[in-house]
Amino acid sequence: MHAPTATPDAARVGSDTIAALRLKLPHAVLDESWQTPTQATLTVKLDELPNVVSTLYHEHDGWLSVMAGNDERTINGNFALYYALSMEGAEKSFIVVRAEVPAATEEFPSVTPLVPAAVWHEREVRDMFGLTPVGLPDERRLVLPDDWPDGLHPLRKDSMDYRLRPEPTGDDETYQFKNDAKGETTVVPLGPLHITSDEPGHFRLFVDGEDIIDADYRMFYVHRGMEKVAETRMGYNEVTFLADRVCGICGYAHSVAYTTSIENALGIAVPARAQAIRSVLLETERLHSHLLNLGLACHFVGFDTGFMQFFRVREKTMTLAEMLTGSRKTYALNLIGGVRRDILGEQHVATLRLIGELREEVTRLVEMLLATPNLEGRVKGVGILDPGIAREYSPVGPTVRGSGHRRDTRVDHAFAGYGGVAMPVNVGDGCDVLSRTLVRVSEFFDSLSIIEQILADAPGGPVLTEDFTYKPHKFALGFTEAPRGEDIHWSMTGDNQKLFRWRCRASTYANWPVLRYMLRGNTVSDAPLIVASIDPCYSCTDRVTVVDVNKASSVTVPYKEMERYCRERTNSPLK
Amino acid sequence: MFKLLKEVLRTGEATVKYPFAPVEVAKDFRGKPEHQAANCIACAACTVACPANALGMETDAGAGTRTWSINYGRCVFCGRCEEVCPTDAIRLTPDFELAVAVKADLVRTAVFRLAPCVACGKPFAPEKEVAYVTALIEATAPSEADAERRRQLVATCPACKRAHDLGQIAGSRVVRAMETSR
Repeated sequence: MHAPTATPDAARVGSDTIAALRLKLPHAVLDESWQTPTQATLTVKLDELPNVVSTLYHEHDGWLSVMAGNDERTINGNFALYYALSMEGAEKSFIVVRAEVPAATEEFPSVTPLVPAAVWHEREVRDMFGLTPVGLPDERRLVLPDDWPDGLHPLRKDSMDYRLRPEPTGDDETYQFKNDAKGETTVVPLGPLHITSDEPGHFRLFVDGEDIIDADYRMFYVHRGMEKVAETRMGYNEVTFLADRVCGICGYAHSVAYTTSIENALGIAVPARAQAIRSVLLETERLHSHLLNLGLACHFVGFDTGFMQFFRVREKTMTLAEMLTGSRKTYALNLIGGVRRDILGEQHVATLRLIGELREEVTRLVEMLLATPNLEGRVKGVGILDPGIAREYSPVGPTVRGSGHRRDTRVDHAFAGYGGVAMPVNVGDGCDVLSRTLVRVSEFFDSLSIIEQILADAPGGPVLTEDFTYKPHKFALGFTEAPRGEDIHWSMTGDNQKLFRWRCRASTYANWPVLRYMLRGNTVSDAPLIVASIDPCYSCTDRVTVVDVNKASSVTVPYKEMERYCRERTNSPLK
Repeated sequence: MFKLLKEVLRTGEATVKYPFAPVEVAKDFRGKPEHQAANCIACAACTVACPANALGMETDAGAGTRTWSINYGRCVFCGRCEEVCPTDAIRLTPDFELAVAVKADLVRTAVFRLAPCVACGKPFAPEKEVAYVTALIEATAPSEADAERRRQLVATCPACKRAHDLGQIAGSRVVRAMETSR
């Protein structure tokens, strides 16, 4: 008889960090469980939650990736919060800090005062679960509309059917927009909301003449309730196709993140070829997304010929996606356990041919773009994201890399087929729109060589495994590096062939909170350019209300007019 | 400026003639799913697999029919229906032009007759599904008597099967023996 051998700690990345944490806060950790060799979940005392998250964040190079609330009253009588930290110090791993919130109090100490990156997540948990973050300075709703009934918290298991849409009770917007301007402040009048054909979001710029003193904005006008519908209507594999539709640009990244989360939770060994194919498709998605953003960058500086050229060449990446997946967008190729289509010999050859053409054409276009005389004047030193602000708010993707932080999920937490791939992490230290644009340019060329590498090295074999069974209440994180940065999903399986909880955090969710700081100190005409430089899931600001803090007046400028002003920089709409 | 002009000249005309000329799609493009009612046995496998609830199945017991339907307005062209179909009755085509003038035209239906149960006479399953299963299990029957027994089994509704089983168990010697021994 052999004694059962405990998994040696050396195989578990992150165990040293946890040991150090236990040493510093001796009585905080109640329980430790490991979902994968690089993913640990620590259940901590509720009172110690802010300290634990802050210690991991500030002393062990942690970045807050996502926080998920969960209504676990049917499992253990409490609500639970999961703060997922991406540890990017000596040990690259994920540590999830879990705390149970008693159903009797529905309160927890806010982490935001110590770790500002938690602000949107805690506001969302208050909306969706009715849990009060005590000490959270921002008391506004995040997701729910102003006239949503108090006390109706959609993600509580006993709250509502997913089809319920409470009738609107009023047209008034009661949301308070924040303005930290030192000078005279103004009560901002609210006009009616125009839901145009573009996606709606509401920006408010507080200006002094042409200079932006502060900015605030509001999203979630089109919250689709995907998490609720996934929990209540769809089976595990069906959610894969829903995840594909989280975003029209980086949907496949979400689909991979979701399937990876379930595969991690259940310990499914996905065939190596399937993982390689996932990586090829993720890079294909990055190719088209970065070309789209480069095209838009041209458009916003008034260089529409460049915009047309980038979009013309981008069509080749769409052809590539169509050939490999059968669809230009929403590839729908994932299942839990692998992919649905192999890359065949002739597709392999055609891919390499298209990659060659793209490399040549985009090299020419980038040269052309950078040689355009007024480009640098428009993008250099504009929309500065201070590295310190970035560190506080945990933004992701080219937005954070443009400010000198070396973060890339593909390298930090190799997933899918990125394990053996040689790739650099491109960073820029300009912290401005130019820096972020150049990071995207470099990443575009990296993606081309990553696809070539993976195609050359991919092993043969099956592309799908069905050799697993679903077990209830297993949970884990799944993550990908989408074109705009890390997408991260936290999933827990249920006992009825449905998810118990699915928390899907898109990359732009992590990037919005820093935008305010990027807008400050710039001129109104640069605003659309700065917004576009984080490549938000939409760059449409719907319409913009401009408030002159000195004249205490306000004017509402239609978005199209703002965009025109950004391109032409004549006939200011403010005059 | 010079580079830009060179690029523009090199490109020439990039605009395609679509919609005045057809546009070529990739070989395995996933477009409009086409249903072959002749092949379909109304087993409903596709309606279970469909993530978007574009496929539906409704039974009208009174009329003795089951209606299969597809709503192209809901379809996401994932092709899961094609994967699960046992009879090759639904296939994705390269057709991507689905615009209609009237919304109702996005819905296509196929009506199937239900077979009556041989025991109680009530309709219980699509005729074609019963025939399909009968053919399948008949082919593997070891003897003619066995094949006949299987035919009866398939043509009986679940309710009648349960009632029949209960009757048989109640009448069997084992049960009587158990009852008397107590």
